[in-house]
Amino acid sequence: MRDVFIEIWESIRRNKLRTCLTGFAVSWGIFMLIVLLGAGNGLMNSFMMGGDDIATNTMQVGGGYTSKPYDGLEEGRRIDLDERDVALTGSEMFSDHVDQVISSVSTSATVSYGKRHFSGSIEGNFPARQEMDKIEILCGRFLNEKDIRESRKVVVLQEDQAENLLGNEVRDRGMRLMGRRLDDASGRKVQVRDLIGKYVRIGDFSFRVVGVAKSNDASNSNTVYAPYTTVRTVYGKGRVVDDITFTFHGLESEEENEAFEEQFRAVVNLRHRAAPDDRRALWIWNRFTQNLQMNKGRGILSTALWIIGLFTLLGGIVGVSNIMLITVKERTHEFGIRKAIGASPWAIMKLILAESVTITAFFGYVGMFLGMIACQILDKTVGQSSISIMDAQIAMFVNPTVGLDVALEATLVLIVAGSIAGLFPARKAAQVRPIEALRAE
Amino acid sequence: MLIELKDVNKTYNNGQPLHVLKGINLGIDRGEFVSIMGASGSGKSTLLNILGILDNYDTGEYYIDGRLIKNLSEKQAADYRNRMIGFIFQSYNLIGFKTAVENVELPLFYQGVARRKRHQMAMEYLDRLGLADWAKHYPNEMSGGQKQRVAIARALITRPQIVLADEPTGALDSKTSVEIMELLQQLNREDKMTIIVVTHESGVANATNKIVHIKDGIIGQIEENFGHHASVFGTSTIMK
Repeated sequence: MRDVFIEIWESIRRNKLRTCLTGFAVSWGIFMLIVLLGAGNGLMNSFMMGGDDIATNTMQVGGGYTSKPYDGLEEGRRIDLDERDVALTGSEMFSDHVDQVISSVSTSATVSYGKRHFSGSIEGNFPARQEMDKIEILCGRFLNEKDIRESRKVVVLQEDQAENLLGNEVRDRGMRLMGRRLDDASGRKVQVRDLIGKYVRIGDFSFRVVGVAKSNDASNSNTVYAPYTTVRTVYGKGRVVDDITFTFHGLESEEENEAFEEQFRAVVNLRHRAAPDDRRALWIWNRFTQNLQMNKGRGILSTALWIIGLFTLLGGIVGVSNIMLITVKERTHEFGIRKAIGASPWAIMKLILAESVTITAFFGYVGMFLGMIACQILDKTVGQSSISIMDAQIAMFVNPTVGLDVALEATLVLIVAGSIAGLFPARKAAQVRPIEALRAE
Repeated sequence: MLIELKDVNKTYNNGQPLHVLKGINLGIDRGEFVSIMGASGSGKSTLLNILGILDNYDTGEYYIDGRLIKNLSEKQAADYRNRMIGFIFQSYNLIGFKTAVENVELPLFYQGVARRKRHQMAMEYLDRLGLADWAKHYPNEMSGGQKQRVAIARALITRPQIVLADEPTGALDSKTSVEIMELLQQLNREDKMTIIVVTHESGVANATNKIVHIKDGIIGQIEENFGHHASVFGTSTIMK
């Protein structure tokens, strides 16, 4: 093995400039591949943010408007879900798949604390919501059973809202990661945890703050959480609910989910005298299938980026192949000598292939290394900033880097690429007959 | 018989078919020092290429040590060349970017001999040919005679059955030519090496013990030359 490397080194040393220029094309190809994949990852990660935050085996159902006449009723009729739908969802009929059913009810409200206020909505909810939506509590607690039972006037705020009420600037994502210490106007440290136990006004009522949840980056809804029973009673919502959310099991494929949704829709629609196949009368948001589609999208994007990257790399490979062809031509006489004294065709082929793979791999790794550095720079700059769309902070790139798996795949690509680049020149070198090779100058 | 050729024919088909060897019959014993002599175009180089398994022939039979050399794969031919034949070329054919000792080592590299062992053997052979001090030099730093001696060391290192020399003195001055031929004579005498020299110089042929004359692809006269009186010019020197 060492002999082969000595031979390669001798050959490369004689053609430094030529080898470097060719190597640059390979480095560039791999550099582009790594940067593209890194940027793609960053983009996908920003889409997926929040996507990772919810349990994937839940479905959320909401009422819509009928899109076709049915049972003597015209289209365009509003469908309001109510507590009997909730009971129906949790009944024997769907118990094969449905586990836990909760609902919510909400109304718009203005939340104020001292002189500061914001408008949003107050959502009556159940403790199970925390699990289903993966609501992360930063301090205090989420709603509990006792809150529900006693219809307590308690509220859970989101972090941004709490900061807002305290008069702190809502900092961007990068800042938030570094710690949460800002001074108020008087220089006194005010932290969101100080809000716990304090009372905020929501509409005409005072609610005690029991917890602060991490802001939901995925949605821009300005919602505060209160017990379901409280909101229903205080705001006189009657039996109408905004949505029904339930966890389910035993639906693994997209088809099974589809079938279940059809069945569920038919039952609920009929109860509201809407056509059983009316998709717009009842909105079903299946987080499981959505997640499946998301992963599919991620796969497609990643495949597309690989293809672009590989085509960029192709230019480099053609370059290496070209150089190896020239090398073979220049060394024909030498190969003739080697053959005359006993080199087998494979020994000659090995020499060229090894040289090609070495050049490709070496410069490829240089490119990969630079690409990784570029990804890190991207992460430290663009990755930390976010743009503001409709009051929501949206990060464009989240962690735009590539993992070890990509590095390994790229290594494999380089070795294969080097072999392909060397294959034709090597075959050419191996096939030339010794007497012809000896005659060549 | 170490080498046996039976009715060997060779035709080149480059446009006009050219019948180069027209039924060669030749036998060479172990330990002989033979020259094949002829004018250019006589077919002597083609014959040497066939003897060296560098080229193949159309009809007939060629045996080395009782083994039929015909329709070999490239791999097998390379292996036979490596183990049975040592080549000495007119233009030395040393690899320019390798030192003298590395050039001598090369046949052993293709036999898979370990680095240390082959280096040691290569140094022994260079020493025998008086080139130990030149081991680390590149071919372009050496004189023609030195280069040809390096090539001879390379040809001998695998202890081949046959040494084939193609115009070994063709690029050398007359004094060096005499030295090289004396070296080959010595190898034949002391090591019982079978040596075949192809040449068009009568002086070179005169240095060998047997002269095979080839003309127009047919073997003519074969003369025993132990007295070395075959050439009128070749008794004491080599004509250039």
